[in-house]
Amino acid sequence: MMMLWRQFAMEWRLYRRDRVAMFWTFAFPVVLLLGFGLIFRDGGGPKLSVVRVQAPAPGPQDTALDQALADVQLKVQALPKAEAEARWARGETAAQVESDGAGYRLRLNSYLMAQAGATAGLVNQAWLMAQARLNGAPEPGRIPISVESPGHKHSANYASFLLPGLLGLNLVSMGLFSVGMVNVSYREKGKFRRLAVTPLPKWLFLLGQVLHRLTVTVIQAAILLLVGRLVFGIQNQGSFLDLFLIMTLGTGCFMAFGFALSGFADTSEGYAALSNLVFFPLMMLSGVYFTLDSAPAWLQHTVAVMPLAPFLRALRAVFNDGGSLAGHEVGLAIVAAWGLAAFALAVRRFRWA
Amino acid sequence: MSGSALHIRGLRKAFPKVVAVAGVDLDVARGEVFGLLGPNGAGKTTTLEIIEGLTEADTGEIEILGLTWAEQGQEIRARIGVQLQSTSLFNKITPREALDLYGSYYPKRRGTDDLLDLVQLQEKADAYHITLSGGQQQRLALALALVNDPELVFLDEPTTGLDPQARRSLWDVVRRMKAEGRTVMLTTHYMDEAEALCDRLAIMDHGQVIATGTPTSLIADLAIPSVVELTFEGAAPEPAAFAARLDQTVERRADLWEIPTPDPKALLPRLLEAAEAAAVPFQQVHIRRATLEDVFLHRTGRSLRE
Repeated sequence: MMMLWRQFAMEWRLYRRDRVAMFWTFAFPVVLLLGFGLIFRDGGGPKLSVVRVQAPAPGPQDTALDQALADVQLKVQALPKAEAEARWARGETAAQVESDGAGYRLRLNSYLMAQAGATAGLVNQAWLMAQARLNGAPEPGRIPISVESPGHKHSANYASFLLPGLLGLNLVSMGLFSVGMVNVSYREKGKFRRLAVTPLPKWLFLLGQVLHRLTVTVIQAAILLLVGRLVFGIQNQGSFLDLFLIMTLGTGCFMAFGFALSGFADTSEGYAALSNLVFFPLMMLSGVYFTLDSAPAWLQHTVAVMPLAPFLRALRAVFNDGGSLAGHEVGLAIVAAWGLAAFALAVRRFRWA
Repeated sequence: MSGSALHIRGLRKAFPKVVAVAGVDLDVARGEVFGLLGPNGAGKTTTLEIIEGLTEADTGEIEILGLTWAEQGQEIRARIGVQLQSTSLFNKITPREALDLYGSYYPKRRGTDDLLDLVQLQEKADAYHITLSGGQQQRLALALALVNDPELVFLDEPTTGLDPQARRSLWDVVRRMKAEGRTVMLTTHYMDEAEALCDRLAIMDHGQVIATGTPTSLIADLAIPSVVELTFEGAAPEPAAFAARLDQTVERRADLWEIPTPDPKALLPRLLEAAEAAAVPFQQVHIRRATLEDVFLHRTGRSLRE
């Protein structure tokens, strides 16, 4: 016990001396939160916008369309033809409406289809409204829209959506990049070999490291929660115990990933490539950035058992929606299973030299 | 304190591309400084790492202080001290902290200040490891190898890369280890170091021990205790014709000829006469006693540094 404490205390003492690394470990998530949180302060994420090429001589039809575009809450930027084309050429425009003979033409940027696609729907709706108004016909009815989280909470604040994501991302990068990279570099530089010729039990050394990383993660999370609360007024809606349990499970799982991966790389460079090879599919296929409803069935089945998505779902359910862990048993079991599998692999592959 | 410190029979280790250790037998007595001398790649480090428990041998028996790795691994670790070829520590740990930390791993330990005195690092006791010079880092590595007051100390190329002064000061530490009654086993590819420090040594080449003995007996066995050297300004000329005239082996090195002889006194007048007659443009004549370098050369046909 005494030896474990010594090992843990020394890890911390040496960690504190590397001030630049330590500063960024704690500051980076805060910078991300402040940055994105302030940019997208109002509403859930970026607002949809459309460029409206100004008609040389606006007729009643143009006026009606402009009014309708504003009514469907699109951000309209009216620009003269030349300026609009210049902006289009720079690639900044997602969607652009201009007169075309008696009607209009809508141009969508193929690089920004997510925004452009949604914008197209709204522009067409506005055009139906404008036509009805011009003809004196009854306006087409609209289906009311509400923005809700899976737990039926309305969070107007983009930062509150972002914060659990950052908490999760921290865990993943701590496990996958920090822990694994440190292991590989210790082995590469022979620090492990020097320890291996002493009677220090190996598990004790590793446990000291794990505990150190765990406390770093806890502090990181605490800072992030504090900043979220002070700057954006975001509060944890669920119980802190549940939050802590999920975070610990996640930390364990992704640190085990790091340990396991470090057994497959001989050099730091090799590890950097390897960890990215694991990290990107994990991120891309986790359903965090986009849904995979249109992906082939086999891929959807694969994605369903990836650990990142159920972990983030449970985290958001507790943090944003004040839910309990009930209903997330399967998801958390998947995370735990990955963690155990990775740990078993790590033990098998672990080398001191 | 009796019996042997180290008893090794039939040690063998093959890596995928090379047989590093090809059947090594060694016996090291308690209290002696034993050297493994050989060129880079001779298998010295692998042999040492197998003994230290870092690498597993394919076959062979090892007894360390009467103990075996299979049965008493932890006890061996507690009683030996190890300096690896390169000791990597955390950049920002101080010598005092490193000694305290590594000392805490052992049941029996030597005081940190005592060790700092021994290796003359008191002044740098609280400086970060990364700010120490190469010699200071090596001395710290030596102190770390002594942190548990070990009976048997392994030093892997302790002076490689050090300047002459730093080497001398490291030699002093090794001599003090011997004076304290410890058994020391070290590897080196410097013959002067082996001659200066070792009571006995084994010369290794291609994973095998090619000769064992005290430095003096190894040189005496060579039957050619002396070497006459003729040095030239610039590259030495081809000696074949001169060797025939002298009826003596003449080996050409970069800028000198080496003529091994059991009796330099008899050779010298003949040599000078022949050189005069053939108008050999030499600059100087040296007579030196044979060294371990010559032993190695004689046994392998190659120089230690090649």
